[in-house]
Amino acid sequence: MSLWFALSPLLILSAGGLLLMLADAFSEKHTDLALGAFMTFASAGIFAVALWIMGGVPAEVAKLVAPWIVLDKFTLFFMATLCLGGALSSLLAGGYLPEHGLDRGEFYALMILSAIGGVLLVAAGDFLALFIGLETMSIGVYAMTSFRRTNPRSAEGGMKYYLLGSFAAAIMLYGFALMYGATGTTALAGIRDALASGSFGYARDPSRLTTVIIAMAMILVGLAFKISAVPFHMWTPDAYQGAPTPATAFMSVVVKAAAVATAMRVLLVAFGDKFSSSWGAGWPPVVAGLAVATMVVANLIAIRQENVKRMLAYSSIAHAGYLLIGLVAAWGHGDPSASRNGKAAILFYLLQYTVTQAGAFGALILCGSKGKEAVSYEDLAGLGRRNPAVALPFTLFLLSLAGIPPMSGFFGKLFIFQSAIEGGFTWLAVIGLLNSVLAAFYYLRVLVFLYMKEPQPGAVEAVPMKSGYVTAAMVLASALVLYFGLMPGRSLDMAISAAQSLM
Amino acid sequence: MNPALLTFQKLWPALAAGTVGAFVPRRSSRVERLGIALAAAACVLFVTMLWPDAVATEPASTLSNAERFPHLLSWLVFIPIVGGALMLFAPRQATKTVQWLTLGIMGAELVATLFLFKLTPTEGKYWIEESTPWIETFGIRYHIALDGFSYWLIVLTSVLTPIATYVSFGSIKTRLKDFCIAFLFLQGAMVGSLVALDLFLFYVMWELMLVPMYILIGVFGSTDRVRAAIKFFLFTMAGSMLMLAAILFVVLKYKALTGEMSWDLNDLQRLNFPLTTQRWLFWGFAIAFLIKVPMFPVHTWLPDAHTNAPTGGSIILAAVMLKLGCYGYIRFAMGLFPHAAHVYGATLAGVAVVGGILYGALCAMKQNDVKRLVAYSSVSHLGYVMLGIFSRNPASMEGAVLQMVNHGISTGALFLLVGVVYDRRHTRDLAEFGGLAKVMPWYAAVFLVVTFSSIGLPGTNGFVGEWLIMSGAVLSKGTLGQWGRSQAMGAALGVILGAVYMLTVAQKMFFGPLDNPKNRKLPDLTRREGIALAPLVVLIFVIGLFPRIFTEPMHVTIEPWIRDFNARVEVPPVELATVAPKPAAPTPTPVPAPAQGGE
Repeated sequence: MSLWFALSPLLILSAGGLLLMLADAFSEKHTDLALGAFMTFASAGIFAVALWIMGGVPAEVAKLVAPWIVLDKFTLFFMATLCLGGALSSLLAGGYLPEHGLDRGEFYALMILSAIGGVLLVAAGDFLALFIGLETMSIGVYAMTSFRRTNPRSAEGGMKYYLLGSFAAAIMLYGFALMYGATGTTALAGIRDALASGSFGYARDPSRLTTVIIAMAMILVGLAFKISAVPFHMWTPDAYQGAPTPATAFMSVVVKAAAVATAMRVLLVAFGDKFSSSWGAGWPPVVAGLAVATMVVANLIAIRQENVKRMLAYSSIAHAGYLLIGLVAAWGHGDPSASRNGKAAILFYLLQYTVTQAGAFGALILCGSKGKEAVSYEDLAGLGRRNPAVALPFTLFLLSLAGIPPMSGFFGKLFIFQSAIEGGFTWLAVIGLLNSVLAAFYYLRVLVFLYMKEPQPGAVEAVPMKSGYVTAAMVLASALVLYFGLMPGRSLDMAISAAQSLM
Repeated sequence: MNPALLTFQKLWPALAAGTVGAFVPRRSSRVERLGIALAAAACVLFVTMLWPDAVATEPASTLSNAERFPHLLSWLVFIPIVGGALMLFAPRQATKTVQWLTLGIMGAELVATLFLFKLTPTEGKYWIEESTPWIETFGIRYHIALDGFSYWLIVLTSVLTPIATYVSFGSIKTRLKDFCIAFLFLQGAMVGSLVALDLFLFYVMWELMLVPMYILIGVFGSTDRVRAAIKFFLFTMAGSMLMLAAILFVVLKYKALTGEMSWDLNDLQRLNFPLTTQRWLFWGFAIAFLIKVPMFPVHTWLPDAHTNAPTGGSIILAAVMLKLGCYGYIRFAMGLFPHAAHVYGATLAGVAVVGGILYGALCAMKQNDVKRLVAYSSVSHLGYVMLGIFSRNPASMEGAVLQMVNHGISTGALFLLVGVVYDRRHTRDLAEFGGLAKVMPWYAAVFLVVTFSSIGLPGTNGFVGEWLIMSGAVLSKGTLGQWGRSQAMGAALGVILGAVYMLTVAQKMFFGPLDNPKNRKLPDLTRREGIALAPLVVLIFVIGLFPRIFTEPMHVTIEPWIRDFNARVEVPPVELATVAPKPAAPTPTPVPAPAQGGE
């Protein structure tokens, strides 16, 4: 296998992104750029899956780009997941942008370039590559967030996201620098070996240990910002609400998945040694605390929202909390079985979450049309009667987000909590489960408005839009939600085998 | 004898009943007479098929149940679910088609249920089982089975769901298709949770019940429906989340001890936990089930849900869904944690008597809204069922299961009857009614019959169930301790209170002067309502007069189950969790004994 083939998903995305930019520059009309973006994502995803089916990238080929880029099954799994998220988002953009007069071709190029950053981030085996990936991904997303130029909310969201994101990146970079100073390397595996080598033990060299702990804390801050864990979540609601909805979908699935994958690599690989990952002095209790805070705070605030998009933003924060439980479980007191299942649970969760969340935003897009976007609960009133074909997929995705069987979200949560209990964190699992009840309240509220209320007399009704692109995304996402829900076995096995390759 | 004569000999009671049914009613059209005749004949056929003699004359088949009726249980679960999924494609405007399709699917389910009567009950084992791998990575299996606990409840589900749906067609005019689909999914999920033995499958089915019921209450309910629907959903979901945590803990402990994953009840029953762990796990399960039952103090969702649900939803909620709490408690909470269930049994029985039977009855007495009154009477009646379960001897448990069926029939009928006046007057306030017996004689007669059944008059079904439960409670020194008798007395007091509040309703509604002018022109029962009520009234007397038909199949399961349970309680709880060795294939439910292994 040549290196070209091994890197094909990344190359396809790059070529596709550049071609779309050219096509945009030289064409009069750009209505079908969405199709191009979709094809780019789809073919990159197919190549990732093909690499997987051929048994992954052989070691001698993967060696050529190591340690900067790691081409293991974990990377391939995330490449496919990110491409799936990107494909769905570009379909949504294909319907949303023309409808709301935002049809400028840069959007698709930005989306693809940002996804390249995401893929690089997932594959990075070195802090430098990781930072390049992170910034590539973020800059595209900053631009997409403020894409509705005339809308003050969009500008505000983009600005907030940009400033806070830059700070977080700077803090993270500082952490990288300190880490380099302490260990003399930027490669994740090298850092692990250096930390495990013994010169960083509690008794040996306290000053270097302090440096490592400070560096770890700073890197953790950067990661928590990208995952949007409480208390680093302040940007999320504004950015999600301000951004055009396809960009929101992209942020909440692709950016989140890439950030969680990086967190897994950094915490479980670079800081996977005995000391950094101990309950007494390492990151696990911090992550557990973040998980609890994230779930509780996000769910409580989400209940009070009046704007569905903002509610989905908070719900996406809450889902980050469940994922962090998985991260603690993936450490699992060092129990190999619990650790493997924890990692696999995160991967499966992200896979199904990608479909569900993109689908939910897509359904929200479908509920509004030019001049009257559906944003508040009131806008959705009575839609179940007026337009059941729109309400039904929305219901499906919301039930999946709430974790009601047999939707895929239930299995995602189940496996996360199962691995948490297996790793000895029954209390975390119980908190997570009780939080699901809180969460069910605000998801159900959408159903209440969809099916059980009628619009206020005289209110401007949000008329559902018609778009082949969005409909296609709905069909694809609904089918996948049911598939992952009723037959999770196959994708779960893939997640487990991807989890095993993470080391 | 020639075959025609033999057939006639078998069928003559049904034919006679049909003839009587066709000729007795006056003032009816030909179609109505035909309908009544068919209903009467079907009811009698049902009874003759169940007659102990009839069962005995059938030559005992050498084949096992599973060989004779392959996949019978799967059919029962999936006829409504697949039917409901297909109904999504039915034309929305063609209301008649939608109605007939729904009834057709439910009729098919009913026909499939009739095959249950052909099963040979096997003592101490599941009568019929199916098991195939589902998600092999986690050892999840599609394992369903049937025994004496679930048998009558499944029959109850298949009988009552069509009745509830059929009677609702009279009052539900908008969004009929959504209504039908919700009902079909609900039915499938209820049957599914009654047969599931794999804890995962059970949980999926258990949660699947929530959404259709939520829609039934929230979309088709009355004024305060949204709040009631959300309250219902969140209460139940909070309980089931705790149960899920407990399930996961048990499954993973099994994995830690044996190295393989299994969610199968039969496997997990081999675990023996230390008492402290058992207490936690027991409450995880028990809270979920007690919320569903519902037992004091987590019963508060029920009156709201009932008051706001549409008639059909109330019938199903009261008649079947609440029973799933009792059933789940027996099957899973008691089945998995015998020691904890034994320790807490007496205390919970006290709660069932004071908080359920007596408090429920006192609350019912003070209600003005008839439907709310019936809802509180449900709390009271399910107190009896739980008392029977906690008393844990053959009489009381048979009484409990029988009382589940009884309550399903009588309270289902009561909700139906309350729905009848609500459809006509759009109020359920007791003060609005009076003297209705003069304008609605048939309605009053049926209402009184159902009232008698509900308060347990001898000859009706309620009497048998309550009698069995109370006599069981008196004899329950080993389980309820020294308080067993006083609890039986409390339950007896509850019967008196039940008579007080139910007869007060009957008196206020039907007798006295007809002084409200709005009630002067109320029409009597319509044909639709009559057809829906007839089977229930017949069943009230059939169970009341021939209870043996119903207790016999339960007995086969309950007797060995209690013996097995007591044997498991005898084994002292251990310091560290252990798992008993897998029994050889043919032995019945295993008895766990301390074995090697540790944490």
